[in-house]
Amino acid sequence: MVTEDGDTENKYKRADAAETSSERRAPVGRRRFLQAAGAGTAVALAGCSGGGGDGGPVTLGAAYILSGFASLYGEEAERGIEFAVSEINDNGGIDGRDVEVLVRDTEASGDTAIQQIRSLVQEDNVDGLFGLDSSGVAQAVAPQISQLQMPFMITHAATPFVTSPQGEHEDSVGNEYVFRDSNSLAQDVYGAARTAQELDATEWATIGPDYAFGYETWDYFQAYCDGLGVEAEFTAEQFPALATSDYTPFISSILDADPDAVLTPLWGADLTTFIGQAESAGWFDQIDHTLFSVGMGTDLPSDGSPLPEGEYASTRYDPFVPDTEANNSFREAYYEEYGSLPTYNAEGAYRALHLYKEAIESAGSTEPDALVDEFTGMEHSGPVGEYQFTETNQATVSSIWGTVTYDEEWESNVLDPVNRYEAGPDVLSDALGDSDLPTGI
Amino acid sequence: MSLTSLVPLIGIADVVIGLSLGSRLFLIAVGLSLIFGVLGVLNFAHGGFYMLGAYVTLAVVSNVVDNFWVAAVVGALAVGVVGAAIEFSAIRRLYDRVDSDLDQLIVTFGFVLVIHETVRFVWGSGSYSIDPPDVFNFSVTLGGSTFNAYRLVVIGLAVGVLVALWLFITRTYFGSLVRGTSSDREMAAMLGVDVPRLYTGVFFLGSVLAGLGGALSAPLQSTSPALGDQVIIDAFIVVVIGGLGSMSGAFVGAMLIGMMQSLGPQFISAGSIAIPFLAMVIVLLIRPEGLFGGIGE
Repeated sequence: MVTEDGDTENKYKRADAAETSSERRAPVGRRRFLQAAGAGTAVALAGCSGGGGDGGPVTLGAAYILSGFASLYGEEAERGIEFAVSEINDNGGIDGRDVEVLVRDTEASGDTAIQQIRSLVQEDNVDGLFGLDSSGVAQAVAPQISQLQMPFMITHAATPFVTSPQGEHEDSVGNEYVFRDSNSLAQDVYGAARTAQELDATEWATIGPDYAFGYETWDYFQAYCDGLGVEAEFTAEQFPALATSDYTPFISSILDADPDAVLTPLWGADLTTFIGQAESAGWFDQIDHTLFSVGMGTDLPSDGSPLPEGEYASTRYDPFVPDTEANNSFREAYYEEYGSLPTYNAEGAYRALHLYKEAIESAGSTEPDALVDEFTGMEHSGPVGEYQFTETNQATVSSIWGTVTYDEEWESNVLDPVNRYEAGPDVLSDALGDSDLPTGI
Repeated sequence: MSLTSLVPLIGIADVVIGLSLGSRLFLIAVGLSLIFGVLGVLNFAHGGFYMLGAYVTLAVVSNVVDNFWVAAVVGALAVGVVGAAIEFSAIRRLYDRVDSDLDQLIVTFGFVLVIHETVRFVWGSGSYSIDPPDVFNFSVTLGGSTFNAYRLVVIGLAVGVLVALWLFITRTYFGSLVRGTSSDREMAAMLGVDVPRLYTGVFFLGSVLAGLGGALSAPLQSTSPALGDQVIIDAFIVVVIGGLGSMSGAFVGAMLIGMMQSLGPQFISAGSIAIPFLAMVIVLLIRPEGLFGGIGE
């Protein structure tokens, strides 16, 4: 337990100086670090342990977006990590060893992520890796992981191609070292198509970011609608660049096309910006239904819960469903600690630590190949529910879609009513019909 | 890059949005153009000034005084002071160097990084937004399309700035000094013009305009440290199309680019961001001096 602030600050500075382009530098980072230190954990405490040695701590490396338009994802992941670290260390650690996590900033860039991950493996000798928020970053990182021969548990980035074995499709980069404990775009968008099936809407449009994730979402949605026999026409599409500060021309163009419903995979601060500008352009009066495929991860009460009530959103984890002891106690304890409901990014990161704990204890070692063997086909349960890793290393978690509703008790938007669609390999394969898109599972 | 539709539907809102985007670009481009026209300095940091104007306005409105217009004036003036300080302390030392163009580029680019990191340090790397001032924060529906009334205010103010600048440069004593100095610096100095002070004054004015652009745009976009980098590229395109050093060129160029940004998505669903670059290439090939090439209009 670190008791003196001065001491903590020194350690932070040392960690900062030891890295090339390392942990967060924004003031908020230090505050968060102080909180972490106060809680007796040592998130992001770099450079003071080689890791791996007997009796020393188990060291894991994580890479998230900690700065820029999507920094809120990294901040949420840090909470999940901090929470899991204190929970594990307070209860005997991993095989009696404490666990510590070094968190690095990918800056939402594939190149930066690769540098950071290489440095975690080669300089900090971490025992395992997890994280990633962006599909584009994950696509770039996956082949490197195979070269580094170190297990990587993706906890957010959703592109199906990282859990689609190399060769299955021209973009497939899946390999034996890359796993994902959260749901993929293919699982998430399956739920969007199931939601569309229930809606009185025939003309559909999209507005998504101008890179693989935006296009893949739209491709999968159309393929699922086709496969599921949803009567839908696809009438307009807009793909503004990431971190666009003014969406109005794109909003106006969609409104001119006047579709019944829109599916949008915009994310991070981009989504919040979009919603504000869409509101003032009269979007939610004109468009009957808007489906936010990454909505709930961005919808923080501290940002004024931007998702409009009555629209549809998905989440990779719901704090109320399943109604299990594991989920309820996680939600309550997390809420008590942070004063807000756990987002899916917090839960995904939290669960990655528990997955490593289980794998290391079961293998009795931190050897990378032993961990890969453990993760392969592993059955696990956590707040999100019970699931298993498939042949392609993708967790069989459900696709969760619901109606955005403000909940007075939790002072937060929740999904109510909420639907969980089973999204295993057979279901997705059937629903994709004749499409050549991979299920990624 | 698929065609969204063969016959795009262009609403009145698209035109108003285009003109308001153009107005924002004009405010930054005219300052860039003015500084280049008079001082011969291509100020890379101008995008940073624009971003800083937005941040100071946001900070003042949420922490000091709950009045957008006061905050916008404070924002613009604060940026003017920062600009003048940069000119006075750094750029001024480069005028007499041989091949000073390259040195100026490097120094102003250095300030891009300084401003960017300072903003990140003070406000973090997240993004902020505010509503337009209450009086104008309502929707106007014309011909079936909707836009925020505040956009009309921004367009009106940009036209006002153009007229005021034109009167200032052509009808005032200071304006005649500016014109004289821009056409022959040595001669102006020999005739007793305090050139260094005039330069600082012009740099101040150009910076105020960039800050004003940022301040007025704050309610129409999200403000993040990346804002300056995005807008400086558009502003360069504007001054290349309009002609470096030309005020009316900056206005016409800005409105053209604003309309391209607004109407582009109607024609192609992605990559409309490239249309202004294409326009710039065409102008450079056909009329390299820009549509309104010339200095000191």
